[in-house]
Amino acid sequence: MFERFAKQARAAVVGAEQIARDAGSRSVDTRHVLVALLDERGAAYEALRECGADAEAISARARAGVRAAGLDGDALAGLGIDLDAVRRHTDAIFGRGALERAGRAPRGHIPLSPDAKQALELALREAVRLRQKTIQEGHLLLGIVRGDGPGRELLVAAGLDTAALRAVVEAQTRAA
Amino acid sequence: MSQQPLVDSASGDDPATGLRAVHALRELADRLETLQVARARELGWSWQEVADALGVSRQAVHKKHGRRT
Repeated sequence: MFERFAKQARAAVVGAEQIARDAGSRSVDTRHVLVALLDERGAAYEALRECGADAEAISARARAGVRAAGLDGDALAGLGIDLDAVRRHTDAIFGRGALERAGRAPRGHIPLSPDAKQALELALREAVRLRQKTIQEGHLLLGIVRGDGPGRELLVAAGLDTAALRAVVEAQTRAA
Repeated sequence: MSQQPLVDSASGDDPATGLRAVHALRELADRLETLQVARARELGWSWQEVADALGVSRQAVHKKHGRRT
């Protein structure tokens, strides 16, 4: 499938896996892809800005989401588990940060989450719909917005005008 | 996220809350397992001994945690 990806879009997917690795995430989801896309300061970044979205704020929120998506302290508290106490215990026995390190995928490759896979599928469909030969950053962004997942939730919460984004991406990718 | 303490959340009425609690517990259990298995292996436990303690097959443990010590 990646043969159809334009260079920048492919770089974003690869970058997303690295972001997941650095954060100790178990899977690569649409937040990681969003962060990677915006880090490139390329077409996706420009597209967001052109439809009036605060790309910097979105990127910051996506990064925060990636960091926070580890252990769910609130949910555990509801079960009577004090996560801080568990962490103090594991820090003492296994070393500081052991509980975070244990969250990393045991082997090198970090798999794509279902929402990320869906976003790639939808990105392909966008490129096909627009009769374009390669999947570009803009299509990836539309794929994230069209699917379900934390990436989409983030963009919607930021007040993204999805119709405007589609128009911008269409113009952008046609010109490419 | 709600401020109200979610007592009995895994057996509570709302599946969304309950499933979130299950997911959190599973993630925590996975990480503790990773740490404890690594430690057991460092201390010389065999894969079979680790498997027995976890109540799973040796193959399952090796597949999940193998390729480190």
